[in-house]
Amino acid sequence: MSLHGWFMALAHSPLGHAMQTSRWGFAMVEMVHLLGLALLGGSVLIVDLRLLGVILKGEPAIAIGRDMSRLLLGSLTVMVLSGIALLSEEAGKCYYSPAFRCKMALLAAAVVFYFTLHRRALLRAQSEKPTLWPRIAAVISLLLWLGVGVAGRAIGLL
Amino acid sequence: MQFLQHFCEMLYQSSFGTMLRESNNAFSVIESVHVLSITLLVGTIAILDLRMLGLILRSVSVSRLARSVLPLSWSGFAVSVASGFLLFWAEAAKMYVNPSFRTKLVLLALAGFNALVFHTTIYRRAREWETLPVCPWRARVTAIASLALWSGVIIAGRAIAYF
Repeated sequence: MSLHGWFMALAHSPLGHAMQTSRWGFAMVEMVHLLGLALLGGSVLIVDLRLLGVILKGEPAIAIGRDMSRLLLGSLTVMVLSGIALLSEEAGKCYYSPAFRCKMALLAAAVVFYFTLHRRALLRAQSEKPTLWPRIAAVISLLLWLGVGVAGRAIGLL
Repeated sequence: MQFLQHFCEMLYQSSFGTMLRESNNAFSVIESVHVLSITLLVGTIAILDLRMLGLILRSVSVSRLARSVLPLSWSGFAVSVASGFLLFWAEAAKMYVNPSFRTKLVLLALAGFNALVFHTTIYRRAREWETLPVCPWRARVTAIASLALWSGVIIAGRAIAYF
């Protein structure tokens, strides 16, 4: 099945049908999506500001990274699940929306970066000598996640 | 209340308010800034609340985390109040009668009151408990109240558009 086919299948699924016909469904799922965003934003900010050496300098970066990863994974799960429900309401529109495509590309990049190079930067930040790479990784991470948020906001506008 | 209503109508009809309301881009851009700054505000406050509940960063002392996180929260607060006031300016007459907007302001006041109580009472003696993995019950109660009230602010804020 083509990608477009999957989007149509989601729109015509029981979930899509429920979202399209319910009076308050979209609003309520949107609120859950925003609450997840606050937690995700907080966890990304704390770990990246630690990598930049702005906050909590005395604490081991890897310990902060571990706790923030748990929070990030939890809130990301909430956001992906609520996001799928939001998508099912208007899958046809989203498929052609440049903002939605941009958001998905940035999200994929942010998640892959977080679990590969960003993780390596956290390990590197452990060592005695402060190096440039953890700081660059933190800036890339902040920009990627900010991009996901801005593109997400743009879906409703474009 | 009569005065407030007149004030809201005056803002609504002012040329700046009308310009904001009728602009395609300015209003959307301010709205996006508002959402992102609330993410900064509530996200950082939630980090401190979750720490006090003993769910994250148990090894970091509470006052140390508070010193790192609260400047970020205040920055988010300043930007969200400024952007929020501009959004209000554009829609003031509608906001005056919007039940979600009223609810949001009440929840915001309660969240502020909760923070004030925390900082003037329990947090004064933080030195005695700041390194405990899980904080005393009075700190945990304000943390739960804070999470609930700020979530309420976000929910009521989103609901404004639906009334």
